[in-house]
Amino acid sequence: MKFQKIIMVILLALFSGSVNLAAQDNNKAEEIMKKAHLALFYAGDDGAAEVTMKIVNSKGKERLREFTMLRLDIEEGGKQDYYTYFKKPSDVSRLTFMVHKIPFSSDNRWLYIPSVDLVKRISADDKNSSFVGSDFTYEDVSGRHWSEDNHKLIREEKLNGRDVYVIESVPKEKYKGFARKVSFIDKENYLPLKEEYYNKKDALKRVFTAEKVELVDGIQTATLRKMVNVKKDQYTTVEFSSIKYNVGMKEEVFTERFLKNPPREYIR
Amino acid sequence: MGSPATKAGETYLSGFLQGLYGGGLDSDNPTLTELTASETRLQLKLESFSDGAEFFGRLDFVYDDYNDPNVDLELREGYTKFRVGNNLDFKIGRQIVTWGTGDLIFINDLFAKDYRSFFIGRDDQYLKAPQNVLRAAYYTGLGTFSAVYTPRFTPNRIPTGERLSYYNPMVGGIVGGEDFYFEGRMPEAKLKNGEFAAQFSRYFGTADVAAYFYRGFYKNPTGMDMVNMEAYYPRLNVYGASIRMPALGGIAWLETGYYDSREDIDGDDPTIPNSTLSSMIGFERQLTSTFTANLQYQNKTILDHDTYLASLPEGFNETDEMYHLITSRVTKLMLMETLILSGFVFYSPSDEDFYGKFSVSYKYTDALTLTMGGNIFDGNDGYTEFGAFQKNDNVYIKVTYGY
Repeated sequence: MKFQKIIMVILLALFSGSVNLAAQDNNKAEEIMKKAHLALFYAGDDGAAEVTMKIVNSKGKERLREFTMLRLDIEEGGKQDYYTYFKKPSDVSRLTFMVHKIPFSSDNRWLYIPSVDLVKRISADDKNSSFVGSDFTYEDVSGRHWSEDNHKLIREEKLNGRDVYVIESVPKEKYKGFARKVSFIDKENYLPLKEEYYNKKDALKRVFTAEKVELVDGIQTATLRKMVNVKKDQYTTVEFSSIKYNVGMKEEVFTERFLKNPPREYIR
Repeated sequence: MGSPATKAGETYLSGFLQGLYGGGLDSDNPTLTELTASETRLQLKLESFSDGAEFFGRLDFVYDDYNDPNVDLELREGYTKFRVGNNLDFKIGRQIVTWGTGDLIFINDLFAKDYRSFFIGRDDQYLKAPQNVLRAAYYTGLGTFSAVYTPRFTPNRIPTGERLSYYNPMVGGIVGGEDFYFEGRMPEAKLKNGEFAAQFSRYFGTADVAAYFYRGFYKNPTGMDMVNMEAYYPRLNVYGASIRMPALGGIAWLETGYYDSREDIDGDDPTIPNSTLSSMIGFERQLTSTFTANLQYQNKTILDHDTYLASLPEGFNETDEMYHLITSRVTKLMLMETLILSGFVFYSPSDEDFYGKFSVSYKYTDALTLTMGGNIFDGNDGYTEFGAFQKNDNVYIKVTYGY
């Protein structure tokens, strides 16, 4: 009996030890994903950029969207406001779109259609809807909070000459966007250089890549991003230019007043 | 540290070229031709801003060929926008004004609508007709005060018998064609005959709440001058309120307005509408990532209905005390949002009439869009809101090239 007890204690100790080790690994993985989230979606306290989006279908036919995007972080890693002013194509030019992002909850979204002077509130239940017909979803644009997934550091390797952490993320609750995600995070600046999205049959659905990383106002920024829809054999690229960080943007910009009257100090 | 871009004046030009061709489906429509539209439109949008003010112009050249070929020129918008101090914005000139919460149901929005365009398949932007106005908005911590002053009353553009037939109570039937061209008598161009609309709005958490006031005239010629046998626009004041907020994974809204019929306060003049209480409730939700639907219910209750009935002469059509309207919009996006299927239906169980709008739109390229659609009206009686247009069923095709 005594012997058995000792064995049990040893086994328990070993087991809990390995659990602790695993937990530590997971903590590290979560820490990396948090940093990656902040690096990609919360750079600076605010930001303004000109965006060119190219949507290319399986036949090589291209469609272009051009817009100005403004962002203000209300809380680092938490609430954020987004403002989009469309320039092209012609049928959406001058249209403005505003999002108050609230992590773990539905976003508040507004659309202003100047040709009819209409402020429309948009139901935002589904964050996996396509963003303006592209391969990016709303969530790809504003980010999914790191604590909604369980993360595991599966290996460390080199990707295109950069040292990366390879992390597997599985949603804590059943999720439509993906069943499993594998991220390749740059060890130096924590930018996700690649993300693979798998569905519940573990088939690769979409692949995100940061095609170009540049130093802007002292901040490493993915200025060219690509999302490949593997199943549909099409992709979307997003190119950021005229990027500015920490311009001292006010929260007031993200209200109906400025939705109807684009702030011309940022938007031309 | 970056700094905001400040540049001197800049000017942008854009617009579209569009062909719209439509025909009626009812062979017994008493209008001039079977066509509802045959027009080529060139829209120029000119936008210019300097640090102090912005200018915007939208000009339409239309070659209209549905009956007598002619070229129309319409300034859709032409305004300047500027700021005084930190909290006061002005927008002055010809412009489109919209407020309120409804989807194609307007209670407190008494700005001009163009149902002639809406019923024949012109773009949604043509549902709103421009008004020449002075508009100001004052932003405070308490909320936003907006005021719109229209010196010259601007009525709705409604079917007049030219292109679309309508119900004529004098004839007691649906009429159209040259003998029945119809125009309401406008109020005299006097200072006191302007329109004034005001709104106070603010947020309580995620709910936007607003109160409204309007002083002017019925936007449709709902009054009948029995001396001159002329339809005209009676005086109207409206007091209302609305709330709109996220709920149940979608957006819900509620709006109400009291229509104070100033020329028939007691409700005993059958030639002028009685005061009415109008309310609606609506809900919209995205049901899948590419499919959105909404549902609205509107109720209009005529006040002093007994007095109205007692004053109504023999042979006049009675209007029920309660009017009910149900509407629904569905939108389906396909092929990465290049194919858009959309439908909007109005159905009134009390008037037993119906109006459905359907369209299929395909964006062949960013610039080129092809649209096919239809407008279907039905009703038991000719004198109800949509029943009056029951002979105007039409289908159309539209080709738009944006630049």
